[in-house]
Amino acid sequence: MPGAPKKRQKREEYKESLSKDDQNGALPKKKFYRQRAHANPFSDHSLTYPKSPSDMDWASYYPAYAAKSDESEATVTQAPTEEDASRQITRPVEIADIGCGYGGLLFALAPKFPDTLLVGMEIRISVCEFVQEKIRALRHQSLATNTYQNVACIRANTMKFLPNFFAKAQLSKIFLCFPDPHFKARKHKARIVSSTLNSEYAYVLRPGGIVYTITDVEDLHKWMVEHFEAHPSFERVGEVEQEGDMCVEVMRTETEEGKKVGRNGGRKFVACFRRVEDPPWP
Amino acid sequence: MAIPFQCVRVCRPDPHDQSSWLLLAASGPRIYSSHSSGGTSVWSSQKSSESAEPVQADESQEPPGKKVKLSKQAEEPPNVSKLLVTSNSQHLVAVTAEDKCLRVFRLDLTGRLEPLSQRSMPKRPCAVTMIENDATILCADKFGDVYALPLLPSPTDADDIAVAAQEKETSASFVPTATPLTVHSGRNRKALEDQLKQKLQPKTKEPLKFKHDLLLGHVSMLTEILYAEVEGEKTGAKPRTYIFTADRDEHIRISRGPPQSHIIEGFCQGHREFVSKLCLSRSGDLISGGGDDDLIVWDWLSCRVLERISIKQPVLDFLKAHPQHAGSPQESEGDLRVAVSGIWAAPSTFSRDSVLVTCEGVPALFHFIIDGRKKVSSLQQTLPLTGNPLDLTLLESGPITEFIVVSIDQTRAPGSATMLRQKDDVPSRMQAFSLGSSGGWNLTSMLDVTLERLNSQAQADALLGREAEVVNPETPGKQSPVQDILYGIENLRKRAGAED
Repeated sequence: MPGAPKKRQKREEYKESLSKDDQNGALPKKKFYRQRAHANPFSDHSLTYPKSPSDMDWASYYPAYAAKSDESEATVTQAPTEEDASRQITRPVEIADIGCGYGGLLFALAPKFPDTLLVGMEIRISVCEFVQEKIRALRHQSLATNTYQNVACIRANTMKFLPNFFAKAQLSKIFLCFPDPHFKARKHKARIVSSTLNSEYAYVLRPGGIVYTITDVEDLHKWMVEHFEAHPSFERVGEVEQEGDMCVEVMRTETEEGKKVGRNGGRKFVACFRRVEDPPWP
Repeated sequence: MAIPFQCVRVCRPDPHDQSSWLLLAASGPRIYSSHSSGGTSVWSSQKSSESAEPVQADESQEPPGKKVKLSKQAEEPPNVSKLLVTSNSQHLVAVTAEDKCLRVFRLDLTGRLEPLSQRSMPKRPCAVTMIENDATILCADKFGDVYALPLLPSPTDADDIAVAAQEKETSASFVPTATPLTVHSGRNRKALEDQLKQKLQPKTKEPLKFKHDLLLGHVSMLTEILYAEVEGEKTGAKPRTYIFTADRDEHIRISRGPPQSHIIEGFCQGHREFVSKLCLSRSGDLISGGGDDDLIVWDWLSCRVLERISIKQPVLDFLKAHPQHAGSPQESEGDLRVAVSGIWAAPSTFSRDSVLVTCEGVPALFHFIIDGRKKVSSLQQTLPLTGNPLDLTLLESGPITEFIVVSIDQTRAPGSATMLRQKDDVPSRMQAFSLGSSGGWNLTSMLDVTLERLNSQAQADALLGREAEVVNPETPGKQSPVQDILYGIENLRKRAGAED
């Protein structure tokens, strides 16, 4: 492929320059971070992920929320052992944007939920880097107001490792915005919504928590509605309540993909589902 | 090359005669059964008629060349990868690997296998277990899904499903799911235009014609499935049921049993490599093992690690003590990788839990005493074997175990998953042990007659060329289907540098 090495070189040069003038808080340029829109969720990738939620080093993603008491200890025992590697934060992450892409939704929601920690999860490494750079820059720009301290982006394959990051009933909101439609029937198992994966979303969501979905592909919308409605742990949120939720409006207008669909005159299909209580057990 | 017994099972098909037992052993596509009273029978998954045989017959024990492999592959009978005897010993469930089939047999009192059904699953079954008093099979597959199937499919179900499938097929006419608004690149638009012109529905996979319910699923290859019943919290309540599933991505998931199998109760997190085996001890603790250096004992109701027990150390000690084995560590000890290939709950020793553990390509049986709650689990005994262990089965009469039978790889050198043995060093395909009064296992000769009968019959069949593992002499150990069944566990390990 001609041009590919040149492209890589340009990207490297760009990223180097970014780290040099680190202090000016310049926003990253998207063109240096683009990556093919599809990833194989079944592949092994070379991912890093915590062994369990308690092993997750959240503090390095939310330094403003790092638990203070831990810090003094950490400096004393320099090399933390495997068991206590994680530095804790003062509150758990509650909102997850699964497949956050370039992070449009995160950056729109962060000021609206100043006291809640939000995390974006993205499988594409370059795209994830872009969001991380943007978070760094925005945090730098808004040192005075301390906004954007509550957002972070991690590279993860959530279809495999969601329970490695979140404990049971930890989350209050999950966003699934413009997921890969996987048109071919053969590829339907790779869709982010399926009757078996919905059990994992139910596991990490607390009762009353909500899954937000939006797509421009009507068939995928029907698929997601069908699979969430068929899952006993979820019920669909009614039209009135859905439209009254400010997250829905943000999701429609602020996601990168949402803007693109809007520009092209496409339709956007929204559906939200509430996690219901588990049924009694003998 | 003759195929060893990749699976062995022992059971008591006659509930009124507690002294008789039946030994089942699978070798390639064949299942041998041998009754304690002397009868032997064979069933083979051979689909093609005997006329296909002579092609292979002249090869005898010599490994045939690559050309033969290619031409034969299509008609080769599928190999048995799992055997499961129902708890009442009335039925046998066998999984055949290549055709992804679940096959159910009735075991008659003399040990003959009567084939009842054969159901081809959408993906290759990796682990099976029985639930609901032997009425239902749980099948965990390579794609990560768990299906529940009735042990005996009822014919009316099949008809209903066939009709429903047909209705669905006729009603659905093809409409592309993409629209000009959802595809943006020029080439994709063109593809969409072509699709719109095309009226016929592209062929999709034929739906399964038997009852099967999807209970749960991982996005990872499943390696193991277990089922447990625990008394409910309220007295007199129905017992709580649980499904345990383990996968290649280090997860052990605990779900509620049906009909609430969509609810995940928790994950036992602590492994850093794949999990290949799970075992519930007699007292109900969960023991897991896989590609890690440790076994883990779990308080699974709270998903807590009770104790980690090194399996690597006993393996190292054993290999050092037996330097003649092929797998002995030559370089640094740190390079040794262990892959747990089996964990079995053995009867309690000194009123403490006890398990038997095997590792892939290690010719020994490790007997651990498990006391995770006090964190004092320990290795009780290391039993050297005459070859690599492939499977193990326990025969119990009430609370006392009478013996265990271990199937031994008589084709590969002890300590190696790929190197072949010397021609003059071919041991029996099975070894039997009994529990001594001191709490240790000893070799026993009381089964020799039965074991030898099965061994010689399998050997005779191998000589006739009825069953032969096809190995390419240039690349021995290259994944032949049989190699994958016998030594597939280390392959679960993730390789560094996978694509991004």
